[in-house]
Amino acid sequence: MSFRQIKLVLQREYMTKIRSKAFILATILIPLGFVAFIGVVTGLTLWDTEPVVKIAIADQTEQLYPRLQKIDSTRYINAANLSEDSLRKKVTAEEINGYIFFTDEHINAAKNPELLYGGSGGIGLLSSIENDLEDVIRDERLEQAEVTDEVKQIYGSSVDLDSRKLTKAGEETEDNTGFLSGIGFAMGFIIVMSLFGYGGLLTRSVIEEKTNRIVEVIASSVKPIELLIGKMAGIGALAITQITFWILAFFGISAAAAPVVGMLVDPAEVTGASEVASGVDPAMFQIPSIDPMIFVYFIIFFILGYSMYSTFFAAIGSAVDSETDTQQFMFPVMAPIFIAYFILFRTIESPDSSLSVVGSLIPLFSPIIMTTRIAITDVPFWQIGLSIVLMILTFIGAMWLAAKIYKVGILSYGQSANYKELWKWIKQG
Amino acid sequence: MSVINVNGINKSFGDTDAVKDVSFEVTKGRIFGLLGPNGAGKTTAIRMINHILIPDSGTITINGQPASPATQRLIGYMPEERGLYKKMKVGEQLVYLARLKGLSKAEAKEAIAHWLDRFEARDWLQKKVGELSKGMSQKIQFIATIAHDPDIYIFDEPFSGLDPINSEMLKEVVLELRDKGKTILFSTHRMEQVEQMCDEICLFNQGRKVLSGNLRDIKQSFGKNTILIEFEGDPAFIDDLENVRVNNRSTNFAEIRVLDGQDTQSILKKAMDYAQIYKFERIEPSLQEIFISTVGEDNINKKEL
Repeated sequence: MSFRQIKLVLQREYMTKIRSKAFILATILIPLGFVAFIGVVTGLTLWDTEPVVKIAIADQTEQLYPRLQKIDSTRYINAANLSEDSLRKKVTAEEINGYIFFTDEHINAAKNPELLYGGSGGIGLLSSIENDLEDVIRDERLEQAEVTDEVKQIYGSSVDLDSRKLTKAGEETEDNTGFLSGIGFAMGFIIVMSLFGYGGLLTRSVIEEKTNRIVEVIASSVKPIELLIGKMAGIGALAITQITFWILAFFGISAAAAPVVGMLVDPAEVTGASEVASGVDPAMFQIPSIDPMIFVYFIIFFILGYSMYSTFFAAIGSAVDSETDTQQFMFPVMAPIFIAYFILFRTIESPDSSLSVVGSLIPLFSPIIMTTRIAITDVPFWQIGLSIVLMILTFIGAMWLAAKIYKVGILSYGQSANYKELWKWIKQG
Repeated sequence: MSVINVNGINKSFGDTDAVKDVSFEVTKGRIFGLLGPNGAGKTTAIRMINHILIPDSGTITINGQPASPATQRLIGYMPEERGLYKKMKVGEQLVYLARLKGLSKAEAKEAIAHWLDRFEARDWLQKKVGELSKGMSQKIQFIATIAHDPDIYIFDEPFSGLDPINSEMLKEVVLELRDKGKTILFSTHRMEQVEQMCDEICLFNQGRKVLSGNLRDIKQSFGKNTILIEFEGDPAFIDDLENVRVNNRSTNFAEIRVLDGQDTQSILKKAMDYAQIYKFERIEPSLQEIFISTVGEDNINKKEL
């Protein structure tokens, strides 16, 4: 292998792409698009309103309705004078959405109240009515038991958990698990998106050389493996450049924008809105305790993840004749990324569960899940080390296979290969 | 002195034998033609000489060294399937390709400036290849092939897809390179091109070499047993001739190979009965005829020829 040739291929791949209009536009538009997306989602959530629901309450106890009215006087309307028949008619005529009969049994005999309704409103409606009923019936029971105010207060109290972390060195530190989970998820998500994005870019770049018919000219100067490594490294370098740019721009803009936004908008509102949409809140930059090692590991795992997956994406590019034919091969490559993405949600809830630990050690999942775990919890070093070793071994194996496919694939024009042919190429090599 | 020495090479893909036990030598300073119908194994052989494919068995030496990345640099190769990066500028692209062949950046720039001047294409330096016309990008493709000033040039089906002007230009460049002592190997399935240019040939059919040697010698060895006839009148008499093979036939022209040594004068007599004869000449057989009589009519896929 000649490093001079690899370097030339890498340089060309990197320089032509980084100067292309498409790349410059994507670098600018992707973050803008992301911000716009968050804005739209937040806007839609704020704009969304619950429909007005009317529930008639036929209350024979005369105790429960006033309490419900206090909670929500538009939803709960008094129907003490109406018969069951006329209530039924009102429901079918859609004048009201439903009704509930209350008798003393509901207070004294722990009988469940029953809602008869038209069926629309969803789980959200049912659980909110259930909560309201639970509150009013409990309060009424307490009232009738003639307990002291103290007891009532005890029932009304709620408990929040404050937590602090005790490090191995014996220092107590502030616990940012919630915040770190956000960081962890963002990192896992970024790796998922980048694997698709840069992998696709590599596939297209390989196909481009085939369809332009320049690959044989190149192959008369460069070994296929040198070309493959050069292209993978070129796009990898491009990925690192772009991500670094985004991170710097993100911190730069946040640093500049935070005081400005602070002056313009009520801080509580800002925190609320962005937390809903992205788990990123401007206050996070004031939290000093992100271990910089998290970012180092992020880069290491991104590079290893990209290296493993890019071999597949390059092999796919070499095996097909046009971009539309990539579908049949993309599925098996995307499947592990999707599976890892689903495990990721579990990992955020419980980063040390057996699923999370095993998932973070499986090489094709590691880049996504281990990065997230490292951000959220203290991962034992042996697990990190093991996952890195396994990823390197997987990379070597995948590279070995991909090189065989690539070597034959780049010179096969005219039609896309199928799995049988790929297998033949692997055996041939 | 042989510049390219191919010795007993074999290459198969799965069950198909693309090249079977082929040997030939290319002499320095000569134009060597690799001939045969499509699918005869020419491109596979050429790829092996270029070290793009590795033979299953047999050896290839270039200037005495086994084929390797080092020998690739001695060769300028224009494949049959050719192309350039459409979105890259002409200048950058040519520099890149020349550097891959081992030139330094400065050397590459100098060589490219020279050739762009030669083809009156200096203004294209900053243009993207996608903006060029087909003929223009063909010129750029030549420059990409020859810019690193190799000793050996290999063109696979160089004339296919070329416009007449570039075709002529390529011929000129090839002859000029030969005069400078360079060695040229090209493949083609169109025999008449070879007749005009090649010093030596190697005929391929179905993965095997069927004939090789000096073009003049080969032709002479087949003797002057072919008749070139130009006439006006009913051409039906040609169909009545026995033991002949007719090539290149048109309404008032035919090339007739006499197979069994019969008297050519009797053919002339017969022709005179039916048509007015403008020209009647005994010539050496055309390469096409040599190819057909060597491999046998039955072994040729007519459609491919």
